[in-house]
Amino acid sequence: MSKRQIELSVNGDRYVLTVPVHATLLEVLRDQVGLTGTKRGCTSGACGVCTVQREDAAAVLSCLSLAVDWDGKSVTTIEGLASPDGLHPLQEAFLELGAVQCGYCTPGLVMTAKALLDRSEAPNDAAINEALAGTLCRCTGHIKVKHAIRAAIQRTLETRDRDGTTG
Amino acid sequence: MQLPPFDYRHPGSLDEALGLLDDQSLPVAGGSDLLVNMKLGLVQPRRLVSLARLPGFSDWHFEPGKGLCIGAGCRLTDLADARHIIENYPALAAAIRAVGSQHVRNVGTLGGNLCLPTRCWFTNQSEQWRTSRSPCFKTDGELCHVIKSSARCHALNSSDTAPALIALGASIELRRRGGERALPLADFYADDGVDFMQLEPGEVLTEIRVPPPAGQAVYIKVAQRQGLDYAAATIAAWSHAGRVRLVVGSVGSCPMQLSRAAAIVESQGFTDDAIDAAAKAARVDLGEVSNLFTPPAYKRRLVRGLVKKALRQLASAGSPP
Repeated sequence: MSKRQIELSVNGDRYVLTVPVHATLLEVLRDQVGLTGTKRGCTSGACGVCTVQREDAAAVLSCLSLAVDWDGKSVTTIEGLASPDGLHPLQEAFLELGAVQCGYCTPGLVMTAKALLDRSEAPNDAAINEALAGTLCRCTGHIKVKHAIRAAIQRTLETRDRDGTTG
Repeated sequence: MQLPPFDYRHPGSLDEALGLLDDQSLPVAGGSDLLVNMKLGLVQPRRLVSLARLPGFSDWHFEPGKGLCIGAGCRLTDLADARHIIENYPALAAAIRAVGSQHVRNVGTLGGNLCLPTRCWFTNQSEQWRTSRSPCFKTDGELCHVIKSSARCHALNSSDTAPALIALGASIELRRRGGERALPLADFYADDGVDFMQLEPGEVLTEIRVPPPAGQAVYIKVAQRQGLDYAAATIAAWSHAGRVRLVVGSVGSCPMQLSRAAAIVESQGFTDDAIDAAAKAARVDLGEVSNLFTPPAYKRRLVRGLVKKALRQLASAGSPP
């Protein structure tokens, strides 16, 4: 089994890791970096629970990404969302509106929503649906999740208006 | 599911990549489909050759007079979001957006989608599942579980983008060690689940060329779920200066041109009667339809309806012949 050394930035922290060539980013994040917020689901790209963010803010599936391809790159996982000031607006909205059933798909849903918000300021319902199509809630559905995402968008926009910043 | 071990190379040039590809190697770009198939044990390459770092492989540009030149490694998201493609090739943009989910399109490439292996409810399962039955044509056996009496594999070609690109008259460029060739995309595919594309070992799809926009084109995908689902059927329709092309996907082992149906509207125009007749003629164009994922009768009715819908959309989009 051949291994390779990679340098990976996870949520701003630099790691030098020796990883098997056939290891996925999901396996390395969970088993070597020790960040288990990124979940293991179908491992075949059908459920989105392993979603992480690439440098360009795009949502990607860590189960279908080889860790060695991330050498020299950075990834954001669910653990990287909260700041010292508190939770990310998306996390707060998911909590307040109860957009959680068993919680297993929640990290993937939040990361998917974050990627959407990072790439467009005020996505409409069609854009939210399109983004969520890549995720699967095995308990119930996406209704409360959509409410939470809309609430987070609303809150972000209000904060910007109040602070007079454009982000 | 975990990946089996393999050797992994990252060549910096196409020539270097072609030199690394032998009969036990596979090229990989986005990997969103290949890695799943490797986890399922459907392919067992000893070596993967990444095409991600090849110069120009992920670039696209438009040349007046020539049209779109798309590097096979262009990510689907980048193409679907490109204003030029949305405005000038709306049917192509719709087809690209129909692939998988945003998550998949963020890594998946156009070349990858065109080379998407055919699928079947028997083979596209875990190795353990497959041991429950005798091997089929696709798994080195001598039978087809889908059509028992068949002498060939009936696995389905589920590429969402191929029907649109064929309808638009696209061609592709293939490179191998010491050679290259270009051919119409329509000629790339064959109606056989095992040998569904004319890609020789060691050969790589490098570029997709789409002629300058002319006439009208529409694209429709029908699936059980709107997102992240393989199609029950797709249709792409194109018309310009009296010529019509109709191509359906996900109903056979290759994208299928409905030439009889197209000829009817070419000769009679986009009248209600001609559209009805074309929809009926599509049944003949389809030939044998397998019971893969949905019953054959449903698929035939679906295609009939899609032909009508696509032709009506084309007619209302303007400039019917």
